[in-house]
Amino acid sequence: MNPLIPVGARITDIKTEIEEVKTYTVSVDGVFYARPGQFNMLGYPGVGEAPISFSSIGQNGSFRHTVKAVGRVTKFLEGLKKGDRLFLRGPYGKGWPLKKAEGRDVVLVAGGLGLAPMRPVIETILKERPLFGNVTLIYGARNERQILFMEELRRWGREISVRLTVDEVLYPRSWKHNSGLVTDLLDKVRVAAESAIAFVCGPEIMMRFVCRGLIMRGLVQSHLFVSMERRMKCGIGHCGHCQHYGLFVCRDGPVFPYDEVRGLPDGLL
Amino acid sequence: MTKRLVIKEAFFTWLDSLRKDYRLFGPAGREIQTAFREISSSEELTMGYASTMLSPGKLFIYKPKEELFTFRAEKEIFIDAPPVPGEKQAIVGVHPCDTNAILYLDRTFLGGYRDPYYEARRKNSFIISLNCSAASQNCFCSSVGSGPFLKAGEGCDILLTDFDDMYLVETISRRAEELFNVRGKAAGRKELNIKSEKELSVLGTIEKKVDVRGLDRLFRANMDHPVWQRTAEERCLSCSNCVMVCPTCFCYNVVDESSIDLMSGRRLRHLDACQDMRFAEVYGGNFRQQRAARLRQFVTHKMNQTGQYGVIGTVGCGRCITWCPTGIDLTEMTKEIQGT
Ligand SMILES: Cc1cc2nc3c(=O)[nH]c(=O)nc-3n(C[C@H](O)[C@H](O)[C@H](O)COP(=O)(O)OP(=O)(O)OC[C@H]3O[C@@H](n4cnc5c(N)ncnc54)[C@H](O)[C@@H]3O)c2cc1C
Ligand code: SF4
Ligand code: FES
Repeated sequence: MNPLIPVGARITDIKTEIEEVKTYTVSVDGVFYARPGQFNMLGYPGVGEAPISFSSIGQNGSFRHTVKAVGRVTKFLEGLKKGDRLFLRGPYGKGWPLKKAEGRDVVLVAGGLGLAPMRPVIETILKERPLFGNVTLIYGARNERQILFMEELRRWGREISVRLTVDEVLYPRSWKHNSGLVTDLLDKVRVAAESAIAFVCGPEIMMRFVCRGLIMRGLVQSHLFVSMERRMKCGIGHCGHCQHYGLFVCRDGPVFPYDEVRGLPDGLL
Repeated sequence: MTKRLVIKEAFFTWLDSLRKDYRLFGPAGREIQTAFREISSSEELTMGYASTMLSPGKLFIYKPKEELFTFRAEKEIFIDAPPVPGEKQAIVGVHPCDTNAILYLDRTFLGGYRDPYYEARRKNSFIISLNCSAASQNCFCSSVGSGPFLKAGEGCDILLTDFDDMYLVETISRRAEELFNVRGKAAGRKELNIKSEKELSVLGTIEKKVDVRGLDRLFRANMDHPVWQRTAEERCLSCSNCVMVCPTCFCYNVVDESSIDLMSGRRLRHLDACQDMRFAEVYGGNFRQQRAARLRQFVTHKMNQTGQYGVIGTVGCGRCITWCPTGIDLTEMTKEIQGT
């Protein structure tokens, strides 16, 4: 098997989520087994590749990617249509430690597009709800128009505690949730702090303050997990782009115990 | 494993005979700078060279540029994997540091996921290493245990030590034993003693030394040491020479090229450098925007960050010092932090 050669896949559905962000349902031939938190190198010959997390993992070789069009590859993807082919390699990386979360209270904190890699976690938890204790999702977006997966957030709210916040409120009359930073909501989380586990995904500076906030609320440092973003060209620990002081984020992460990455040079955690 | 003393002439005759089945690469040229290149006769070799600008491992095994696949668009896009490199090659005259550097590259390209292009070339490469007879000004291999003599059994097929008009030829691999059929005098205790004396005498000429113990902790505690900022501001040009000549630097970039009608093209990779301003850039930020941060990445990746593979990242060849336009010396920076 040549890990540098992508396989062809088919886009079976496209959904526009928010401005510049679309969710692609993709299917490949044969079985495809991925875990929440892992990613694919998604791309097209002649264009390039970009690491993109799974935003949902289905059966029968079908899964979703939620992508913001910011550069060469992602803008190309934005122009694709249902039925088009794209190419991918993966799944790569270490996912969220869901096994470790069983039997515990779970705090999920996501910022912006960071909700995308968190969705497969929530889907797994909902499927096996009794295995987990109290589950809280705290999600922050820039404003109401930047909120991902709004319908699902409502649906999830029936089985887990969901708290939303936006940095700035555009429509004060219709916004029934919070405003301000996600860290402001940490106080409202009801968990057995010593045993609870937390998964955090969002901009690195946000993850820094969330992790510190969670520790101040009594969570144990080794129970916090973050998903990191670095430039990636290979996904398999070879090209060196994602190196973070001796770690390969693609191979050793992207999900890391907070312990392992806290205070490393050239990072914000 | 056999050890025998072989007349140089006989050795080179054998080497030339290898060309039946192997392409031959070695250190050649002496006018300005000896460089590793393909040779058609052993007469072109400069076995007594001091150092080359580029290391053989990063010329002939991990290629500076490699085509990953080609593609063509018909009704659909088709991807054609290139044939696995199949040519056999013999690389002669590889110094101990460069031999160890190949072992280091193995950790990257064969350690987890296997790079098929590297793997094929590695398997097809018959490596004839050569213990050093003299050290250059910037060599510090002895400080990191990678030279000036190779520890037996590491990374090569045959190991040579210069014995004036003879070579002490040690066959290391099984294929070397099959291939090397030149007769010679079996080396006994006396010859091995001479070898040890030679090693000691080369060791004595190595001037550059650095204590690499405890560097992990020391560097972590000195991420804001003034040496980073000062050296970056006063001397570092971000030219990436250090990385390009480094035999253990493995980073690459991936580029897609299309024909003008977009109907075909290829994906390739080529060497990249963490000194490049955009190396660690992502949408919305750059984790090593500062020159000082990039310089620190190079120096710490070479001198510690040993968590990565459990070994130090440098083989002490000193090339980055030699080829730095402003003479930045990672051992000097290390010593400054050590306060010695
Ligand atoms: C593990 C992981 C998971 C991710 N998951 C998702 C996800 O689920 N959804 C999502 O939308 N994004 C995700 N990302 C982010 C996404 O991979 C990046 O935004 C990626 O850069 C997009 O690729 P691109 O080719 O479209 O953009 P690029 O063309 O690479 O441009 C992105 C940024 O890089 C800069 N840049 C452009 N060219 C270069 C160059 N040659 N050298 C250096 N910098 C350059 C640009 O200035 C721009 O700001 C993830 C990233 C990681 C590491
Ligand atoms: S020093 Fe820089 S270019 Fe060399 S291997 Fe390390 S990160 Fe890559
Ligand atoms: S993406 Fe290439 S080493 Fe991690």
